[in-house]
Amino acid sequence: MEIIALILIKTQLYLLVALSFSVIYHPTKNFHLAHAALITSSAYFVFFFANKFSIPFLVSVALAIVTTTLIGGVCEVLVYRQMRKRNVPAFASLIASIGLYVVLQNCISLFFGDDTKIINTAEITVGNQIFGAYITTVQIITVFVSITLFIAVNLFLHFTTTGKSIRAVASNPELCSIYGISSNKIILIAFGIGSALAATAGILSAMDTNMTPTFGFNLLLYGVVAMIIGGVGSTRGLTAGAFLVATAQNLAAYYIDTKWMDAVTYIILILFLIWKPLGFSGKQLKKVEV
Amino acid sequence: MEYILHLFILICFYTLLSQSLNLSAGFTGLISLAHAGFYGIGAYTTAILSTQFGFSFWLNIPLAMLISGAIAFIVSLIALRTVEDYFIICTLGIQVILFSIMNNWMDLTRGPLGIPGIPSISLFGLHFDSKISFLLLSVFFAAIVWFVLRNISKSGFGKTLTAISEDEIYTQSIGKNVYKSKIISFTITAILAAIPGALYAHYISYIDPTSFTVNESIFILSIVIIGGLGNLTGSFLAAAFLVLLPEALRFVGMPDSIAANMRQIIYGLILVIVMMTGRNGVKELFAKKHTNF
Repeated sequence: MEIIALILIKTQLYLLVALSFSVIYHPTKNFHLAHAALITSSAYFVFFFANKFSIPFLVSVALAIVTTTLIGGVCEVLVYRQMRKRNVPAFASLIASIGLYVVLQNCISLFFGDDTKIINTAEITVGNQIFGAYITTVQIITVFVSITLFIAVNLFLHFTTTGKSIRAVASNPELCSIYGISSNKIILIAFGIGSALAATAGILSAMDTNMTPTFGFNLLLYGVVAMIIGGVGSTRGLTAGAFLVATAQNLAAYYIDTKWMDAVTYIILILFLIWKPLGFSGKQLKKVEV
Repeated sequence: MEYILHLFILICFYTLLSQSLNLSAGFTGLISLAHAGFYGIGAYTTAILSTQFGFSFWLNIPLAMLISGAIAFIVSLIALRTVEDYFIICTLGIQVILFSIMNNWMDLTRGPLGIPGIPSISLFGLHFDSKISFLLLSVFFAAIVWFVLRNISKSGFGKTLTAISEDEIYTQSIGKNVYKSKIISFTITAILAAIPGALYAHYISYIDPTSFTVNESIFILSIVIIGGLGNLTGSFLAAAFLVLLPEALRFVGMPDSIAANMRQIIYGLILVIVMMTGRNGVKELFAKKHTNF
C-alpha cells in the first residue's frame, strides 16, 4: 500500500515538472535545461524569505513563484529570443541553456552554500494514515496542487485565446505571424507559465524532502524523460510517462536498491528510444524530415 | 614549482579530453555529454587492472582503450538512432548510467570509497613518479593524440565527417554510409578518452566517482565549444584558459570558496555568449543544415 501511495505522489510531482517543461518546449522546441535552476531557485527563495526575513509562509511562497517567473522571463528575453533572431542551429540553444543552468546553479551555491537545507514549515508534519499508508500533509498538498494545476493548464491551453495561441505557435510559427499573432509575446507567456509551474514543483519537492543546489536537475530530467517517453505534446502521454517513470523508480527502490533509481530511469528512456522512438503518443520526434 | 607542473599536467589531460571530444562534437556534429563517463571507464579499467591484477601501465592503456571503445560501440548503436537534441539528452542518460555504475557497483568499483593505491608508471626500470617526468609523458601522449586527430580530420574519412555535420542527407545521397561513419567517430572519441583516464588514475593514484560526473562532462564540452567546434588548437588554448582561470581568480585575491563557483559562472557565461553569437565557426559549420529542406 505504501508503495502505491508513493508511486502516485511521485507521478504527480513528475507530471507537474513534465508539464512545466513541455509548456515551454512545445512552442519553442528548445530544451530549456536552465529550467532545472528555476526549480531549485524557487525553493531557495522560499527558504530565504521565510527563514531569513520571517515573512509568512504563504506570502513567501507567492513571492518565490513571482521571482522565479521573472527569472524565467529574463532568460527568454535575454538569451533565447536573441538566439531565435539569429536563427542559430537547434543544438545551440540546448548548449546555451546548459550554460545558463551552470551560471544560475552556481549563483545559488554562492549565496546559500552547498549544504542541505530544509524549509521550516510552521506545522510539524505528522503522517496521516490513509488506506494503511502513511502520507505526510505535504504529500497530500502535492497531489492536490498538481492535479489542480494540470487541469487548469489544460483548460487554459484549450479554451482561452492565449492558450490557443500557444498551441498555434507550437504547431506553425510562420502561419501564426501571418495571422498577426506575435510569437515572441506568446513564447514569453509560455515561459512565464512554465517557470511558475516549475517554481511550484520545486517548492513542493523541497518541502517534502530537503534541498541542495542541484536537486532541480535530477527532478527536471525525470520530467524530461517522462515527456519524451510520453510523446511530445500529448496530455495523456505526459501522464503515462510520469506514471511509468515513478513506477519504475519506486519498484527499483523497493526490489533492488534506491541507489539504482537514476540508472533505471535512463535505461527506460534508452529502451524507449530503441523500440518506440516516438513515445506513447506516436508524435514525430525528429525535427528535420526529408 | 611542483604546483605549476601539476597545472601543466592538468592542461595536458584536458587537452586530450577536449580534442578527443572534438572529433565527434566538432567534426561530426555529435554533441556528447557522456565524455566524462568514458574518461571514467579508462580510469577505472586502469585502476582495477593495476591494483587487483598488477598489470603495468603499458598493458593497461590498450586494455582501457579497448574496453572504453567496446562500450562506446554498443552505446552508439543505440544512441545514434536519435538526432540532435534527443541525441544530447540520450548521451546525458548514458553519462548518468555510467556514473551510477561507478558509484554503486560496490564489488567492482568500491563505489564512493574509490580505489586507492594505484602504482605509478615505470618503463624498463625508469620511474615516472616525479612531476616533471610525468609531465613529459603526458605531453608525449597529448602530442600523439593531436597528431592522430589532425590526420583523421585531414583524411577522406575526416572530410566525410565534416560533410555529415554540414548536411547529413546530402552526404548520404553521395553514397557515404552516415550511420557507420558516426559510429566510428563516436567510438574513436571514446577510445581516445580512455588515454587521459588511464594517465589520471596513475597520476593521482586514487580515483573515486566524483571525478566523472555530469558536471565534468559539461566542463569538457565547454572547453570544446569555447575553443571552437572542429578546432584542435582552439581546444588546447581553451583547456589552458579554463584550467588556469581559478589560479587567476586566486591571484586577484578571491577566496577559494568563491573561486570555484566563480569559475563555473564564468565558463557558463562564456558558453552562453559563444552560443548566442555563433562565433568560432559554429555558424559556418552548421548554418547550411537548416536552409536545406
